Amino acid sequence: MNINYTKQVWAHLRQDPLISTISVLGTALSIFLIMLVVMLQQVNVAPYSPESNRNRFLHVSEISYSSKPGMCNQCMSEETAKELYKSLKTPEAVTIYASFCVSSVLSAQNVTPFVAETKQTDNDFWHVFDFDFVSGKPYDKATFNAGRHVVVISESVARKLFGKTDVAGKDISLNHSSYQIVGVVKDVSILASIAYAQIWVPYSATNAGSFVDNVIGGMLSATILAHNHNELAAIKVEADKTLALYNRKLKEKGFNIISRNRPYDQEKQSIAYSANLEPDVSAMHRQQFIIIAILLLVPAINLSSMTNSRLRRRISEIGVRRAFGCTRMELLRDIVMENLVTSLLAGVIGLFICVVFAYWGADLIFAQSSFGSSNSIQVNTSMLLQPSTFLYAFVFCFILNLISSIIPAWRASHTNIVNALGGRTR
Amino acid sequence: MNKKLFNQIKNEWHSNLWLIAELLLVSVVMWFIVDYIYVRVSVYMQPRGFDIAHCYKIDMGTLVPKDDDYVPGDTVQCNDVEELMLRLKRRPDIEAVSLSYNSYPYNRSNSDMPLKYGKMKHEGVYIRAATPEFIRVFRYEGARGETPEQLSKMLTEKGFIASNDIFKEKYGIDLTSLIGRKFFMQGDTVNLYTLLATYKPVRYSDNHEPFNSCSMLVELSRNEYGIHGELCVRAKTDQDVGFKERLWKDADKQLRVGNVYISNIESFDDIRKNYQRYDTNQMRNYLTGMGFLMFNIFLGLLGTFWFRTQQRRSEIALFKALGATNRNVFGRQIMEGLLLLSIAMIPAIIIDWNIAFAGLNQQMNGLNLNIGRFTLTVLITWLLIAIMIVLGNWLPAKKAMSIQPARALHEE
Repeated sequence: MNINYTKQVWAHLRQDPLISTISVLGTALSIFLIMLVVMLQQVNVAPYSPESNRNRFLHVSEISYSSKPGMCNQCMSEETAKELYKSLKTPEAVTIYASFCVSSVLSAQNVTPFVAETKQTDNDFWHVFDFDFVSGKPYDKATFNAGRHVVVISESVARKLFGKTDVAGKDISLNHSSYQIVGVVKDVSILASIAYAQIWVPYSATNAGSFVDNVIGGMLSATILAHNHNELAAIKVEADKTLALYNRKLKEKGFNIISRNRPYDQEKQSIAYSANLEPDVSAMHRQQFIIIAILLLVPAINLSSMTNSRLRRRISEIGVRRAFGCTRMELLRDIVMENLVTSLLAGVIGLFICVVFAYWGADLIFAQSSFGSSNSIQVNTSMLLQPSTFLYAFVFCFILNLISSIIPAWRASHTNIVNALGGRTR
Repeated sequence: MNKKLFNQIKNEWHSNLWLIAELLLVSVVMWFIVDYIYVRVSVYMQPRGFDIAHCYKIDMGTLVPKDDDYVPGDTVQCNDVEELMLRLKRRPDIEAVSLSYNSYPYNRSNSDMPLKYGKMKHEGVYIRAATPEFIRVFRYEGARGETPEQLSKMLTEKGFIASNDIFKEKYGIDLTSLIGRKFFMQGDTVNLYTLLATYKPVRYSDNHEPFNSCSMLVELSRNEYGIHGELCVRAKTDQDVGFKERLWKDADKQLRVGNVYISNIESFDDIRKNYQRYDTNQMRNYLTGMGFLMFNIFLGLLGTFWFRTQQRRSEIALFKALGATNRNVFGRQIMEGLLLLSIAMIPAIIIDWNIAFAGLNQQMNGLNLNIGRFTLTVLITWLLIAIMIVLGNWLPAKKAMSIQPARALHEE
């Protein structure tokens, strides 16, 4: 039966090459664009190294607080971050790090100094984020507490400095001070925006922890790792309690931290662009829904219009089949199936174009704002080719097919046999 | 002929419904995009009021006591920063050097405060604290025709200079007429500041309109010099090539003062690119969407009219047999598409109008709905879709033209 369909569809496709090209091309293009929209979203929320635990993350990049002069939105001081989040009992781990990468001057013997983006972190950072170490290991708690001058560098920085990657144990000069390399990690895509940097140093060795503004403001952010996704709600409850306690302490100093429903999960954090506004996840979903609806609807109407015309030409064929005892349901099913095969074909083509485009045009699609970063965006297979992406493509294909063929199919199958045999549609 | 065509469309309304529905949907979305692009482009085209060509931003860092080279006695940072600026200024490839806070173009940080004169008040004027040479680095121009050099000499601690359009929108007054008068800043009602000069409107970035970019400049006092300031330089016109490399080469020795060192050098072209990234991405998305819709119209028209030509073979043959020229046949088919579009545009315009009325589209000059802009964007939309209709209809119309009347009628 299925082979029969395929043969039939193939025959029809070849009968009118122009129209077939149009249908397949139109559908493929629409699938392609829908997939791009999905991918743009996936890159923000899908797990990939070193942010493989994204569905277990909660982030606090900034806090908002009221004080005598007015409202403030900024990152946290070390004390605030520790009191509010490091103290939580529920999560698996909590890391504190400087929110923004800073540029540092890097050099080694016989290498002209160059600038690398530096992230200042604590030791739990290496637990929360899963980096791939090619040499050495991360700095541990004792090293962090001692504020030792150690550094983890990325592969490309290692190559630039020494021409090779197994360089753990060597010394480099960072901002005109001597640091020891303890580990080398695989390069991190700039799209993993929180873990991203080119070199990582303990913030206890620099001045990121000591910067305090207005008692509670500073340079630090926190990321919480839950044991599992379901635990996120419990962590939020605990964080709210801790916040209430901390606010009581701050009262005498004249400060009050406003939660704005922090901490945020990965999706919410990914659309946060301003600390004084709570990100509106449902508004983003609505916007995406409208975009996808338009991308689906326009080609669907197109295809409907064409299916309609095509069926009109085939109306006498339908008449013959009906006259020989074919039921309406069978006809309907045939027509829908026929279109489904075309849509699937187009879907596969669309998906293929999409993946090719994502690799070749990654810089174009995923270009992000960054502070002076000239790094190209590495997109790897594991980031984009996820089973869910395929699933999305086929679901969209099916919806597209359904919208575009069900109405004309219904009308065609309900045409009076006599009229159909006569080639009339009504 | 058009009346007949109209009747024909009416008679075939059932199969035209699909096409009209598609054209309606597409024209609404297209109008939205055209409107967006229209606003963005017309804002972009306005003069910016500053010039970032040949400009660079230099980030500074400072050694901390844990560092090997730390100079313990060096505690007054402003001295080091001032010395660094002087050394930069002495370089032969540098034209001007400035230090500022929240001031350079395409800045992510800003601060604003109210400015008051008599009964007139502007709620949020961007305040830029900078050394006078800042005006020469970014080449602000005086409203009375002063060159950046002249203007920069006018900025002293005695007062402030401001863009001349601060009270323009609300009160219709050019600030230039108030030079020499005293103003209140921030909620302060005790201290008065003299307006020393005015400059032509300076936009905040490429997409900010002048009316929401009003700014004023005050002189940065020496004790505020610090490593978190924005150290900006303008290279001499012919010195761009290798400028960064030359600076880096001297960064380790000549350009280290006490505990202060240079940690990064960025050209303003890169800063601009980064700042505008979100908008560039959005523009790219809208353009892609527009391309997609236009392509779909093309495909839809091509497909539908291809069938129509086949169906109407005998009809067209008869039309020709009765004396219609090839051009008549061709024109009639194209006209049919355009007429369909015009019919679809009527409800579309009503929807567009409501979208603008509800304020869901882009704002320009603080407005969502402006008759001139609305008419223009609707016309552009019509035109763009019309082009695709003509293109999509070209092949089927050509095919219709080539029908041999005798043969087609014979087959019938």
